[in-house]
Amino acid sequence: MTLLRALSAELRKAATLPGIWVGVGVMIVASAALTAYNASMVRGALAAGRPEDTAFGSAFDAAFAAVPLGTVGAVVIGVLVIGSEYTANSPDAGGGRQITTTLTVASGRVRVLAAKVLTVTFLVATAAAVTLAGTVALAAVVIGGHATEVVAVDTALARSGGTTLYWILTALIAFAITVLARSAVIPLLVLIVNSSLVSVSLLLTNLTPLAHWLPDLAGRRLFGLPEDFTVPGGLELVPGAIVMGAWTLALLLIAGIVFHRRDA
Amino acid sequence: MLTIDGLTKRHGSRTVLANVTFQALPGRVTGFLGPNGAGKSSTLRILLGLDRPASGAALVDGRPYRNLRDPLRTVGSMLDGSGAHRSRTALNHLAWVARSNGIPKRRVSDVLEQVGLADAGRTRVSKFSLGMGQRLGLASALLGEPGALVLDEPVNGLDPEGIRWIRGLLRGHADAGGTVLLSSHLISEVAEIADDLVVITAGRIVKTGPVAEVTAGYATLEDAFFGLTGDASGTTPGAAR
Repeated sequence: MTLLRALSAELRKAATLPGIWVGVGVMIVASAALTAYNASMVRGALAAGRPEDTAFGSAFDAAFAAVPLGTVGAVVIGVLVIGSEYTANSPDAGGGRQITTTLTVASGRVRVLAAKVLTVTFLVATAAAVTLAGTVALAAVVIGGHATEVVAVDTALARSGGTTLYWILTALIAFAITVLARSAVIPLLVLIVNSSLVSVSLLLTNLTPLAHWLPDLAGRRLFGLPEDFTVPGGLELVPGAIVMGAWTLALLLIAGIVFHRRDA
Repeated sequence: MLTIDGLTKRHGSRTVLANVTFQALPGRVTGFLGPNGAGKSSTLRILLGLDRPASGAALVDGRPYRNLRDPLRTVGSMLDGSGAHRSRTALNHLAWVARSNGIPKRRVSDVLEQVGLADAGRTRVSKFSLGMGQRLGLASALLGEPGALVLDEPVNGLDPEGIRWIRGLLRGHADAGGTVLLSSHLISEVAEIADDLVVITAGRIVKTGPVAEVTAGYATLEDAFFGLTGDASGTTPGAAR
């Protein structure tokens, strides 16, 4: 009952925070833009009768080549659901932070955190559904009748599920890190760069193969991208997903203990 | 009734609160008075379950705040202004607060009306003045129609009309049997509103009792303040959190 109330409050909070919509927008718009570009290249190659010029023969593959970019949106959502609590008002307006209100109106801190975890999961899953359905539809429209391949339904579902899971786990890891950091700025910066421009984990694999066990690399096969499209090595799909899930649980557990114990 | 019993709090080696003990009684407005950095906010934060004491207890009707179910229906509080995220509107802020405690939605417009923000409900908090932020903070404190109000420096930033208004509001709350605990660093301001005074300085309670009793023997309220807080120079180091 009280968890439902906390969840209802958190969903309302998220829906009325502009930054969350930026995260959702980034996931959808960035994926769609890259998909449109990919799909037009695919269409060009296929229409010219040169299928060897493109890595993708189907609308589905063209769309899913863009999904790693959607990770940025998941990071934004995960960070802001908790990071926004610590945004200070201007000193002219008392300099207060919303976390004070959140903790004084709540009965139990663990419940607050649980409600936030459910909120992040719900938001990312919903945004993922829209993004994946939307980009595949977009690619299908752009490529039209030129497609040379059709992806089987079970493959499509598995890759959609895998991608959604990767985004949810990434968002929850970002969430847990932000609980510890008590600020949105640094986690947002570091995690966005890591999931878009430069993957620190990937660079670390040059130093040690252990870096393949870091969460973002461990889970990357969840996207189901073709082998020649990804960096070789590392964990296979299922063990990788389990390792990423274990990271997520461990970080959430630490975040929960710290959040419960420390002064607000 | 709010009971503060032997609270001690340290930040590193610095003692913030040393055996702080007092009560705020129903039907009375209790003013919690002291210079900036004396430990007023620290005490209120422990009372509201935000921070933990090293020892001692803070109880609301005999229970720790963290054990309250739907706390807004028992204690309404305000610390550091609005307590709202700057990019949310006042209406949206109060709406989630109401949901968290299962408070009916109509209370949101009721309290906005009550604190004089009826026309600012759709304004983002970032555009609020300090006084408007204080009013929004009060609105969320009043949302659950609680028996007790705990307010940290509620008069900050209010204009004279606002100060008169809040005085009436708090008086009315106490006269209806409610408990009011408010902090202030200005004795003249708190003496106007409070029935009882609790004076704190450097983390220790130096005097408690009805206003007339606490200020007896001093020529002016200001003399009383400096006499009690032991700061004859009149300069108080700003160390408020």
